[in-house]
Amino acid sequence: MNAPDRYERFVVPEGMKKVSYERDQKIMNAATFTVQREDHTIGNVVRMQLHRDPSVLFAGYRLPHPLQYKLVIKIQTTSQSSPMQAYNLAVNDLDKELDHLKQVFQEEINQKQSEYY
Amino acid sequence: MDSVSYTRFPTVRIRELKDDYLKFELRDTDTSIANALRRIMIAEVPTLAIDLVEIESNSSVLNDEFIAHRLGLIPLRSERAMEMRLSRDCDACDGDASCDYCSIEFTLNVKCTSDQTLDVTSHDLVSSDPSVVPVDNSFAQDISGFDAPEARGILIVKLRRGQELKLRAIARKGIGKDHAKWSPAATVAFQFEPEIHINEALMETLSLEEKKEWVDSCPTKVFEVDPQTQQVMVVDAEAYTYDEEILKKAEAMGKPGLVEIISREDSFIFTVESTGAVQSAQMFVNAIDILKSKLDAVRLSFDTEEADDQFGELGHHMRGGGISVILLRTSFNSVP
Repeated sequence: MNAPDRYERFVVPEGMKKVSYERDQKIMNAATFTVQREDHTIGNVVRMQLHRDPSVLFAGYRLPHPLQYKLVIKIQTTSQSSPMQAYNLAVNDLDKELDHLKQVFQEEINQKQSEYY
Repeated sequence: MDSVSYTRFPTVRIRELKDDYLKFELRDTDTSIANALRRIMIAEVPTLAIDLVEIESNSSVLNDEFIAHRLGLIPLRSERAMEMRLSRDCDACDGDASCDYCSIEFTLNVKCTSDQTLDVTSHDLVSSDPSVVPVDNSFAQDISGFDAPEARGILIVKLRRGQELKLRAIARKGIGKDHAKWSPAATVAFQFEPEIHINEALMETLSLEEKKEWVDSCPTKVFEVDPQTQQVMVVDAEAYTYDEEILKKAEAMGKPGLVEIISREDSFIFTVESTGAVQSAQMFVNAIDILKSKLDAVRLSFDTEEADDQFGELGHHMRGGGISVILLRTSFNSVP
C-alpha cells in the first residue's frame, strides 16, 4: 500500500536534478552532494576513489533511508582543492579506469576466441 | 589546476570462456569496482522480457495471470537490448509499447487435439523479430542422442484434449532492478584470491603421518603431500573456503603459525554465468558501459545548482537527518 513503485529506484522524475550540492556552513572546503536515484553501486566506487586523492580530508557516503532512493556524499578537502574539484576528478579518473578495463578485457576475449579457431 | 590523476590500471586474465559461463581473474583494481560490476550485472544490464500479455482464449488448468507470469520469466535472446529504447522513453508510439523501436510482439496459438498431453513450451512462441527468440539450449547439448529435457524448450503449461491457449504477448526492454525477469545473470560471484605461505621450517618438524593428518583436516582439497619429496604442496589455493580448520588443527598439534593464509584485496576471481539472454562476456562489457554511463550522469556540470545556502547544514538537521555515516575517514597525509 505504501510501497513505492519499483521504477522509482532508477527513474529521476521531471524537474528533479540528478546531482545537487550544498556547501557546509561551518567547515571550510566541505560540501554535501546529493545524488538522486542511485545506490551503493556508485556510492562506494566514488567514495573509494575519493580516498585515493591526498587533498581529500574526509569522504563518506550514506543512503539516508532504504525507501528514499538517493545518495548523500560528504567531502572535505584541504585548501589546495575544493570538494567539487575532488568529486569531478574522482569521476573522471574512474571513467579512465573503466575505459582501460574494457579495452584490456576485449583484447583478452579476442585473443581467447582466436585460440579456438 | 589538477593535472594528476589517481587512476588504477586493472589487468584481466581469462581462465574459461564459454557462451554462458565465464571465469576470469581481475587484478590491480579495488573491491568497490568489482562489487559495482557484480551489482550491475545482476540488476542493471538491460534485457528483453515479455511484459504485456493479451489472452484471447485460455482453457488450460492454469489461470491467466499465472500463465502471464510464466511467460515473463522466459529468457529471450537480448543482443538487441542495449540499442533499444525503453518503452516509456519511446517517442514513436506514446510509450505504450506498440512500435518496433521499443517492443517485440509474440504470439502463441496452441490447441490440443490428440489424446496425449500436449506440452506448450517456449518453442511454440512465435516472434515478430527473428533475432529475439526464447533462449534455446539445445545446441549446447552434448551429443547424447536422446531427447534431453533442455532440448524441448521451457515448459509453459500442459494441455489436455480440447484445451486451448491463444494469446498475444509484447516484450519490452527492462533491467533487473525493476523486475527479476529482466536480469540476465544466473550467478555472478567473485572471490578474493588467497595467498598461502607455508612455514617450511615448522613444516620440517612434522612427521609424514602428521603432515597427512594436517592436510586431511582441510574440508576442501587445498594441500597435498607430494609422495616423492614428502613435502606439503599447495594443490588448489582457490578451493580454500576460509573455514580455518587447518589453522585450528595446526594449533591443536602444537604448531601455530604453520601456515599463513591472507586474501589479497586487489585480486579477484570472477565467475559469471548467464541465463542465455546475453552472452557472459558481452554481459561484462555491457556492465562496464553501464557503469561508465552512470558515472557520466553523476558528474557535476555547470548548471548543477547550489542549494540555497540558508538551509545548508541547519536545514538538514531540522529535517531529521541521520548521523550514521558509512566509513568515516579523516586523513592528514601529505602527498606521498
